[in-house]
Amino acid sequence: LKRLIPLAAIEILVWALMLTVLFLISRVAFAINIGVGTLADRIATQIVRTSVSVVIVVVWLLAWKKITDVHFWRAIARTNTTS
Amino acid sequence: MLDLLSAASIASVLTISFLVTFVATPIIGEAMRKRGITGRDVHKSPGVRLPEMCGVAIVIGLAAGVSIYAIVFPSLIHETAAFMGTVLIAGTIGFVDDLRPLNARIKPLLTAVACLPILIFGTYYPHPPIPFVGPVSLTIIYPILIPVAIAVTSNAVNMMDVMNGAMPGTVSVILVAITAILLFSAKNGTAALSAALLGALLAFYYFNRYPAKVFDGDTGSLAVGAALGALAILGNIEAVMVVALIPHIMNAFYGLASVGRLYERREIHERPIRILEDGSLRASTAKAAPITLVRIILAAGPLREREIVRDMIFLTLISSLLAVLTFGITLVGRI
Repeated sequence: LKRLIPLAAIEILVWALMLTVLFLISRVAFAINIGVGTLADRIATQIVRTSVSVVIVVVWLLAWKKITDVHFWRAIARTNTTS
Repeated sequence: MLDLLSAASIASVLTISFLVTFVATPIIGEAMRKRGITGRDVHKSPGVRLPEMCGVAIVIGLAAGVSIYAIVFPSLIHETAAFMGTVLIAGTIGFVDDLRPLNARIKPLLTAVACLPILIFGTYYPHPPIPFVGPVSLTIIYPILIPVAIAVTSNAVNMMDVMNGAMPGTVSVILVAITAILLFSAKNGTAALSAALLGALLAFYYFNRYPAKVFDGDTGSLAVGAALGALAILGNIEAVMVVALIPHIMNAFYGLASVGRLYERREIHERPIRILEDGSLRASTAKAAPITLVRIILAAGPLREREIVRDMIFLTLISSLLAVLTFGITLVGRI
C-alpha cells in the first residue's frame, strides 16, 4: 500500500483540480457571449468558449504533469539511494 | 426505476456475453495459434508466444449480448446499432493494425472515424452535465468533440494494455461503476450495453490474467476503448467517464508528454521498464524512456507483473469511486 498511497493521492488531487477547472470553465468560458443573433455569432461564441476552455484544460494538464514528474523522479532517486 | 423486465434483461445480457466470450476465446486463440498469429509475452522469459487478436472474442460476445437486448427492446435499436457500429469499426481498425501495424499518427485519426454510427443515428444529447454546474449547451461544438472522445478513449485503453490482465481487469472495474450509475439514472438501455461489455470482459479476463493464455491485441483494446467512449456519449455521462478513466488517461498523457509526440510501443528504443533476473520488473532510470503508469508504479522499487496489474486495478478502483462521487455531485448540482 505504501507505494500506492502517493499515486492515489495524485489521482484525488487531479480529480479535485478537474472539478475546479470545470467550475472555472462554466463561470469564465461560458460567461463569454459574442452574440446569439445570427448563426455566425453563435458559432463564434462557441469557438471562443471552447478555445478558452482548452487553455484552462491545458493549464490543468501541465499542473498534473508537473506533480507527477516531481513524484516520479523523487521516487526513482529514493529507490536508487536505498539500493 | 429498474423494473423486473429490465433487470432480468440486463442480467441476461451480461450472462450471454460472458458465456459467448468464455466459449469463443479458447477457440479463437487456437485458430490464431494455428495461423501463426502470435505475439511474444515481453515480460516473461524469452520464447513464450501467445495467440494474438483474441479480442475478437470480446466483440463477438458483446455483439451476442447486445443483439439479444435489441430483440427484446426494439425501440432501442438506434442506440444499440450506434454502439455496436462504433465498436465494430474500432475493432476492425485494431484488426488491421494487428495484421499490419499502422502509423502512430494515422491510428488516432482512424479511430476517430469509429464515431460515425453515433453521428449518423444522432444518438447523442449535446448538453453534457458538468459537476456543480449542471447541463451545458454545446449544440454546435458537441458533434465535433465526439470523434475526439472516441479517439481518446480507444487509444487510452489501448495504451494501458501492456500487461497480462491489465486491460480487462481495469475496464471491468470501471464498468461496474458505470453500469450502476446508468441504472441509477434510469438509462436502462445504455446500462444493458455496459453490462454486456462487462460480461464479455470478465470472461476474457479469465484467459488474459497472469499468466496469460491469450492476447486481445489492438482488435480488443481499441474496440473496448471505443465502447467506453460510446457509453459516455449515449449515457450522457461524459465527465463521469473522464474521471473513471483517470489512470488510463494518466498513462497515455504521461507517455505522450514525456516522448513529445504520438508513438507506437515498437518505436520506443529506450524501454520504460527492465526485466530483472528473478523475473520481477524495475523502472528504467533513463531520461529518454517514456513515463508510463507502470514505470511510475515501479519507481518505488521492483515488482512482479501480477503485483503491478493488481496496483493498476487498485488505482482504477479509486478512480471509479471518484466517478461515482462525481455523478453524485452532478446530481446534487441538478437538484
